[in-house]
Amino acid sequence: MKADWTKYVLAFLITTTIFATAFYIASNIDQSRIADIRATEQNIAIDLLSTETQFELLGSLDCEAIKENPILSDQLNTIADRLAYAENNLGSDNEEVIRLKKQYSLLEIKDYLLMQEISQKCKTKTVSILYFYSNADDCSSCARSAEVLTYLRETYPDLRVYSFDYHLDLSALKTLISLRKVDGPFPAVIINNRAPVYGFRNLEEMQALIPELKTLASTTAATSTKAR
Amino acid sequence: MLQYVGMEFASYGVYICLFLALYFEVFLLISFLEKRPAKKTGTLPSRYPSVSMVVPCFNEDKTLAATITSLLNLEYPKDKLEVLVIDDGSTDNTRTIGEEMAARHANVKYFYKENGGKYTALNFAIERSSSELVGCLDADSFVERDALLEVVKKFDEDTSTCAIVPVMKVHNPKTLLEVMQAAEYTFGIFVKKMFDNLGAISVLPGPFSIYRRDVFSIVGPFRHAHNTEDMEIAFRIQKHGLKIVNAHTAFVYTTVPSSVRTLVKQRTRWTQGFLQNLQDYWFMFGNPRFGNFGLLVLPFGLALFFGALYMTAFFLYQIFASLTNAIVSIAVTGVYPRLAWPTLDWFYFDTSVMTFLGGATLIITLTALILGGRIAKTDFNIPSVFSYFFIYSLIAPVWLARAFVGAALARESSWR
Repeated sequence: MKADWTKYVLAFLITTTIFATAFYIASNIDQSRIADIRATEQNIAIDLLSTETQFELLGSLDCEAIKENPILSDQLNTIADRLAYAENNLGSDNEEVIRLKKQYSLLEIKDYLLMQEISQKCKTKTVSILYFYSNADDCSSCARSAEVLTYLRETYPDLRVYSFDYHLDLSALKTLISLRKVDGPFPAVIINNRAPVYGFRNLEEMQALIPELKTLASTTAATSTKAR
Repeated sequence: MLQYVGMEFASYGVYICLFLALYFEVFLLISFLEKRPAKKTGTLPSRYPSVSMVVPCFNEDKTLAATITSLLNLEYPKDKLEVLVIDDGSTDNTRTIGEEMAARHANVKYFYKENGGKYTALNFAIERSSSELVGCLDADSFVERDALLEVVKKFDEDTSTCAIVPVMKVHNPKTLLEVMQAAEYTFGIFVKKMFDNLGAISVLPGPFSIYRRDVFSIVGPFRHAHNTEDMEIAFRIQKHGLKIVNAHTAFVYTTVPSSVRTLVKQRTRWTQGFLQNLQDYWFMFGNPRFGNFGLLVLPFGLALFFGALYMTAFFLYQIFASLTNAIVSIAVTGVYPRLAWPTLDWFYFDTSVMTFLGGATLIITLTALILGGRIAKTDFNIPSVFSYFFIYSLIAPVWLARAFVGAALARESSWR
C-alpha cells in the first residue's frame, strides 16, 4: 500500500498541537504560581506597612498583641517555600523569579528590622539568623546548609531565618551585606547580629553555634518546608 | 551545575521520545477514524478451500491434545480440513499423544522429525501439504470454532490477500502477570488492525496465521530468521509487495508465560528478532517504495525501542541520583527527613510539560486499549490496565536491554 503523505502531515500537526497545548497549560500554571507569590508578597507588604504605621501613630507597640500574634513569620516561611519551588521549576535566572526574590528579600529585611525594634521595645528575646547563599558556582554546600536551617526552622517555630541570595542585584541587600561585612566564602550565617560564620555547618555544629535555641520552644510536628 | 545542565539536556531527549510515541499513536488513531473495523456478519464464504493446519510442537504434551481438539472442532467441512502435527524431536510424551490423536481422527496426521527448529517443522509440513491454504497453530494455542470460517471469508473478499493474521487473546489469564499480558495483547489487537488499514502488518504469529499456499512459491519457505520466522516471513511478504490482512473477527487464544523469567525470555527473543531482521531488511527502512511498512512501522519500531530504553535510563538515573543525594545529605547534614503526608496545595502539584505530555500519551494509549477491547470484544478490568501501565513498564526495559545486547553481539536468542 502506498504511503498517504497527508496522514503523516496531519499526525505531525496534531502531535505538535498536543505539545503546544502542554507547553501552554504548563506555562499558564507557572504564571498562576507567580501571581500567587506576588499576591502573598503584597499581603506581607501591607501587614508590614500596617505595623509600621501603627508604631508611628501610637509611638509604641502593643507588646502583648505582638507576643500573641507574631508578625509574618508563617507568611514569610510560606513564601520562601513557594519561591524555592518556583525557582526550581522556572530556573534561578527567570526574570519573574528574580523580581519576586528581590521583593521577598526586601520584605525579609523590613521584617528583620521591625523585629529588632520590637525586641528592643518589648524586651523580647528573639533568635534570628541571616543566611547568605549563592546560586553561582561558588557554593556547593549551600543546598545542604539550607536543609539544616530548614530543619531548625521547623523544629523551632520562633526561630527566624532570613535567607538572601548574595548575588541578587538589590541595593538594600547590598547595604545589609556591607553593614554586616559579609564577603564569603558561602554559605554564611549571622546569628543574632554576631560576626558572620562562613562555610557549611552540619546540624550538630549549627546547634552549637546557637545556644539561644535552648530558650525556644521546639516541636516535632513540623511541616516539611525548606529554608532558602 | 554541570549535572543540572546535563539533566536539562537529557530531558530534551525525553521530549523527543514522547513526541515520537504520541506521533505514532495519533497516526494509528487517524487510521482508525479513517477506516473503522467492520462488524462480524453471519454470511458464509462463497466456497470452502482446502486447508492444512500445521501444529509444530516440541515437548508440548500438556497442551497438544487440546490444541488438536480445538482444530477438529472448527466449523469447517471435515473433508476440507487436515491437521498436520509435526513433532520437532520431542523428548516428552508428545509423540504418544500425537500418534493417539492421529489414530483416532482420519484428518489428523502425525509426523516425527529430528529437532531442527520451528521453521524446519513448518517447511516439513508445507512440503507434505497440497491444500490451497496452509495455516499454523502453535501447540499452546486454541481457536474459536468459527475462526477458520472468518479467515476464509477474508480470503474470499480479496483474492490478492496472501496471508491472514487473526486476533490473538490470552487464554484464561489468572495471575497479575497474565492479566497484564492480556491488556498488552488487547493493545496489540488495535495496533494490528491499524497496521492492516495501513497495509503494513509486520508479523504473522504462530497462533493461527494462514497463508495461501502459492505465497511460498513466490517468497520461498520459512527461514531460521533469528528464531523469529513468523516476523521474517511477514517482512519478506512485505518486500514482495504482497498483501497481509488482519481478520479481526477470527479469535485465537494463546497461553502466555506465567513467570517473569519466561516472559523476559520470550520477549527478548521477539525484540532481538525484530532488531536482527531489521538489519537483514535494512534497505526497507524509511524507504517509501515499501509504503507505510517502510516509512512508519520499521522506523517507529526502532525509534520506540530506543526511546523506551532511553527513557528508562533517564528515569533510573533520576531515581539513583535522588537516592544518592538523600543518603549523602543525611550523612553530611545529620538531618533525617521527616515523614509527612503529600501536600494537597495545588501550588506544589507537578504541572510540568513532561507531566502533561505523559498524561496525553497515557490517555491515547488507554483509548487504543479500549478500541482494541471493542474490536476483540474483550473485557479488561482495573488490575489488568493497572498492571499494563505500571508493572509492564518496569519489566519491559529488561528484555529491551537484553535484546539490544543480544543483537549487538549477534548472539542467538533462545526459545525457552
